[in-house]
Amino acid sequence: MVVASAQETLLAQMRRGTLVFCVLAILECDEHYGFDLVRRLAEVDGMVTSEGTIYPLLSRLRRDALVETTWRESNAGPPRRYYRLTDAGRAALGGFREEWARFRNGVDHFVTGEAGR
Amino acid sequence: MNGTPEDHVETYLRRLDHELRDLPRAARRDVLEEVSGHVEEARAEGAMETEADVLNVLDRLGDPEEIAREAKERFGVRPRGGGAHEIAAIVLLLVGGFIAGIGWLVGLVLLWTSQAWTTRDKLIGTLVPPGGLAFVLVLWSGTLVAEGAGCVESLDPSGAVTETTCEQGAESGLAWLWFVVFVAITVAPIFTAIYLGRRMRRVPPPATVTT
Repeated sequence: MVVASAQETLLAQMRRGTLVFCVLAILECDEHYGFDLVRRLAEVDGMVTSEGTIYPLLSRLRRDALVETTWRESNAGPPRRYYRLTDAGRAALGGFREEWARFRNGVDHFVTGEAGR
Repeated sequence: MNGTPEDHVETYLRRLDHELRDLPRAARRDVLEEVSGHVEEARAEGAMETEADVLNVLDRLGDPEEIAREAKERFGVRPRGGGAHEIAAIVLLLVGGFIAGIGWLVGLVLLWTSQAWTTRDKLIGTLVPPGGLAFVLVLWSGTLVAEGAGCVESLDPSGAVTETTCEQGAESGLAWLWFVVFVAITVAPIFTAIYLGRRMRRVPPPATVTT
């Protein structure tokens, strides 16, 4: 029981930590408004359980100057706040991308690869 | 489930605003604006036609408490501290010295066993000043005795006191300095108590994304 809950906690923390970079990656090529971003994340299974929890993350990214925002009028609904990567955000994403590939390959090597059998 | 769809949205946003109360103001405003924008977008899409639709949208957003918990973690805000444990620690550190001398020590134990403060806060709580207000009282009375000792009594041959001269004048500049120091020491425990009260629920924001 303890093991199961520790594992859940670990997975939740990994999801939380990597979600930051998933958001940055979505914003890499194009700017998006919150609702749109949330929907893209929610479309992928296992990424987001409560859609509302993305908004504190976006606010924190803005405070850390990894993203910047502009308000635009929308032709269907309220004005939208668009998020866009800053140079610092781009650098953070680039750094993570390298580290992530190395980490993922390392874990795969043992967990799913030959070394694990 | 009763009430109009609008009632549900309004209740939801009010709860969210309340749950976000410990966040930095800008973050609280951001989250509230974005979540209510989210609802408006859903409405513009036609995803909020019936009451069931509305509840579905709110359900997918998640419980306000959960969003607030996430926000506090992202911004390094500890959930509201200030339980009975912490309040008792502050009160005992301040006036516990008067309770058979051990009240302050009990306060000290409570201070160091609480998780609401950083080590730095705990050191300040311990050392500024040790003993709290009781320390100040001891210091004051000690000084009054010392001042009494600074007086010279002139005796007549029978041994009766004819005159008591206390040294002043030359030392009045020094006396002023002492006065300032003493006032500072007197208010120190009060400031420490206020400081601990304010620091209770705060922790340094965690490093989020670094490269």
